[in-house]
Amino acid sequence: MNSRNTYAVLPCNGMDKAAGAVTRQIALDLSVQTGSEIICPVLYRVADARYNRIAQEHPLLVLDGCGTRCASKLAVEKGLKVAKKLTVTEEAKKNAIPLADSLRGAELAASLRLDEAGLSLAKTIVADLLKAEGPEAADHQAPMAAPAQLEYETYQKDKFIFRLPKTGFFFSENDFWVLVSGNRARVGMTDFLQQSLSDIAFFNPPAVGAAIEQFGELGTIESAKAVLEVVSPVAGKVVAVNEALATSPELINQSPYEQGWLVELEMDDLETDRELLLDFAGYFPIMKRKVDEFQVK
Amino acid sequence: MSEPTFMGVPRDRIDWCPRIDYAKCNDCMECVKFCPHRVFEVRENETPKLIVKNPENCVVFCRACAKTCGVDALSFPDKNETTSRIKQIRKEKAGQ
Repeated sequence: MNSRNTYAVLPCNGMDKAAGAVTRQIALDLSVQTGSEIICPVLYRVADARYNRIAQEHPLLVLDGCGTRCASKLAVEKGLKVAKKLTVTEEAKKNAIPLADSLRGAELAASLRLDEAGLSLAKTIVADLLKAEGPEAADHQAPMAAPAQLEYETYQKDKFIFRLPKTGFFFSENDFWVLVSGNRARVGMTDFLQQSLSDIAFFNPPAVGAAIEQFGELGTIESAKAVLEVVSPVAGKVVAVNEALATSPELINQSPYEQGWLVELEMDDLETDRELLLDFAGYFPIMKRKVDEFQVK
Repeated sequence: MSEPTFMGVPRDRIDWCPRIDYAKCNDCMECVKFCPHRVFEVRENETPKLIVKNPENCVVFCRACAKTCGVDALSFPDKNETTSRIKQIRKEKAGQ
């Protein structure tokens, strides 16, 4: 038994999609192979004391079947710390294993039984989960030094105050920032964006070593309200991710420009990317306009 | 209100909005519930029920609605091509 991989497993256990059945299969396999404990999402809704305890005793693995993210939403609702999560439909794509997930009319019933492809996908996912740290860890570099004391400009709307650092940062119109030091870039989200998302529950970081284009996907952020793609303001290779966010994603809300940074990259070509980035003077009026136009809840 | 732009380029010149694969879409409307920009419209009693009504409301490079789609029915244009196009239009504007 590998205790390092013993999880509290929260599958969506969705009944109307093959992907939901795969989450159940993964949970069962992990329970047998690692002694992981299964949290039943249905029972959890009505009797949570037992499962709250399990979720605290082991790292929580959340298994969503599809993009509706029922298991993730339940974890957020219950205020659980998510150690790891995956979505079966995305894993199916990654592993090129087609799922019989047709939801139209008469085909529905036939697709609900876990077929060979579904079992094989569950097996592959479990094997990945049980693997030791991948070789990518070797590419992981120490993060950049923390920025010096930042000076902020603020914009207030009703009771909300939005901060923006006045120097040293570039911004994209997608509301992400980049702080540059030599050919290294640290990326994070602006105060405006984190406030529009409300409480952030999980940061799903990109793989260290991954090559990302400008405006490519640099992981995803999940809050109770939404899943958001981190749109990379620059192109480059991922060399570090903010490990602290794995246990404390709330740092993104509390300190979006400092402790809540997301990812660091070794940039390909800042000069080329710079054309579609803004400095403080360029972004501040855009942020103000967005604040004025949006109802921040 | 001034004309919407992205990086100085008029929004209507940037082709960025979701494409709906109606062979996959199951009318669950998760995307409609999710998108705060009213990109989609639901037309009760019509086929298709879901359409992209306001493509220019879509935030350039945002693909968040696709992540809510359980059946993977939403896709977006290629990001690199869109980036190149934006740069090209900016160049043309600068030369005017």
